[in-house]
Amino acid sequence: MTQGAPAAAASPATWLPYLPTRPALIGVLGLMLVAAVVAALAHGAVPLSFGHLLGAGDGLERTVFLEIRAPRVVLAGLAGTALAVSGTALQGLFRNPLADPGLIGVSSGAAVGAITMIVLGSALGLGAGSAPYTLPLAAVAGAALVTLFLYAFANRYGHFSVVTILLVGIAVNALAGVAIGIFQYVSDDGQLRSLVFWMMGSFGRATWLLILPVALLIAAASWILLRHARPLDLLQLGEPQAFHLGVDVKRLKRRVIFCSATAVGAGVAVSGIVGFVGLVVPHIARLLVGPEHRYLMPAAATLGAGLTILADLVARTVTAPAEIPVSLVTSALGAPFFLWLIARVRPR
Amino acid sequence: MIRYAALAFGAILAGGAFACEHAADASRIAVAGGSLTEILYFLGAEERIVAVDTTSVHPPEATRHPSVGYVRALSAEGLLSLSPSLVLGEDDMGPPDVLTQIQRTGVDIVRIPEMRSADGILAKVRCVAAVLGLSGAAESSISVHLAPKVEELATLAGAAHPRVALLLGDAQGAPLAAGQGTSGDGLLRMVLAENVFANVVGWKPMSPEAMATANPDFVLLATRGSADLRLARSAASTPALRLTAAARAGRVVALDGMALLGFGPRTLTTALEVARMLREPWAE
Repeated sequence: MTQGAPAAAASPATWLPYLPTRPALIGVLGLMLVAAVVAALAHGAVPLSFGHLLGAGDGLERTVFLEIRAPRVVLAGLAGTALAVSGTALQGLFRNPLADPGLIGVSSGAAVGAITMIVLGSALGLGAGSAPYTLPLAAVAGAALVTLFLYAFANRYGHFSVVTILLVGIAVNALAGVAIGIFQYVSDDGQLRSLVFWMMGSFGRATWLLILPVALLIAAASWILLRHARPLDLLQLGEPQAFHLGVDVKRLKRRVIFCSATAVGAGVAVSGIVGFVGLVVPHIARLLVGPEHRYLMPAAATLGAGLTILADLVARTVTAPAEIPVSLVTSALGAPFFLWLIARVRPR
Repeated sequence: MIRYAALAFGAILAGGAFACEHAADASRIAVAGGSLTEILYFLGAEERIVAVDTTSVHPPEATRHPSVGYVRALSAEGLLSLSPSLVLGEDDMGPPDVLTQIQRTGVDIVRIPEMRSADGILAKVRCVAAVLGLSGAAESSISVHLAPKVEELATLAGAAHPRVALLLGDAQGAPLAAGQGTSGDGLLRMVLAENVFANVVGWKPMSPEAMATANPDFVLLATRGSADLRLARSAASTPALRLTAAARAGRVVALDGMALLGFGPRTLTTALEVARMLREPWAE
């Protein structure tokens, strides 16, 4: 039964007494997100006061706020939402608590797509102006390809057991590493250095023009995923059981894969690889509101946005006026959590 | 000509203008690029610096300024927090989106064109001086300190061109060798040496076999540390270099990478030392 075990370790009964408080908990998470946004908007290398911004701020402060800090916070929130929601959906789909977009290679697939576009885009005759649109599309294509491959492979040769999925993820990440390595070998100095920083993630490139297509993709994908909360719950009982309860399992899988890949791909395309958010956030959310996707997904979305915004706040203030890649922050927090998780899910 | 057109095009794409014209306000400068920091010190304009990047390590006191990160990974808000009136950068500063953000706030961005030659260094100093409005004073410093070195380098043109390999690091594993279009290749041209890896493009890792086939008479190692020339005896015995004529004759020399490849004023000094050394009779 371990193969088909629900993603959460705790049984639903544990959460029963708390049922009425779940929407309230999500509300609290929402308030925390608002607090994170306010903190992130208020702090940065340039000292700004809210009085300045609302009233008689001078030109520079206004521009810094509206053109640099605000889009950055919005992008961090969007990317965090995308990673957390798709992490939740993938964990539900694979019925496996370790299905993180980064661990199983979806983020790497998106990165390969994006890097292909960085290195070969100009050779394909695409102008720099089209980059805000072609880059996310290439990343989405890369992420979708990897997710489909994972799914087909696991379907054909075994089950979605913890070991299979992680081993396949290692192989996929290695293959993506080969592709990235080849591009590093052929790229010129400038491209090479862009690639290196791409791999470590940053929200520093945020402009409103860049955010618009990404926001549309992530919002649409998250919304569709949220609407599949109930079928995902039923899937936790096992595929045949879900089928007999009226879930069109094939269609559900297709949609979850496609939407997760879209959300992750769009996020990776503009911010590079941001590690561990997709793994850690669904687990924290599950500890808070339980395994029911109807509550889990909004909780993960809010929490993902909030934590990523705070991670970015740390990344851009701790060494100000310079900044550190945001994935260094998320991975430094996420990797120990991951170890703790492994210790916890292992049978005692 | 195509090269300049490409440079200009690159500048338009990447944000910031290539222009050696007096900037509107060059009183508070954020510098992105070690060679430009060096030039500001050379011109005696260091009191205008409000920020440098992490490649600005010479002169040592330059590192006392606030750092805005690596030249390719600048932080928009961090840079603006030091309220510069001008961002002065090498041609590879970035990322482009961050420069666009900075430009939107109305801060002037000037990109200094890079030509990796002795004349290119003079041109770079003149360009920075023009941007700062110091052209007059700069000419006298150039004629005293830099022009004689360029002339001396030129006098070596008639002599034989030694066959040299320029490598990054201390030659462990498969070291990266300077091929066509790299700063290393530019330096080898400057010291009138023949680059044994002129047939590859960019920095490429070289196996011991490729190294033995290329068989350079001299090996220059761009390492971290002291700018003085020093014999690298341990590097000469690595598998990568062991089989070359350079290693057998003990002609493996290590130098500070930024002094060698930064293409600021001190690269002229280093190049001259290297050019002389390559032509010395080498005693075993």
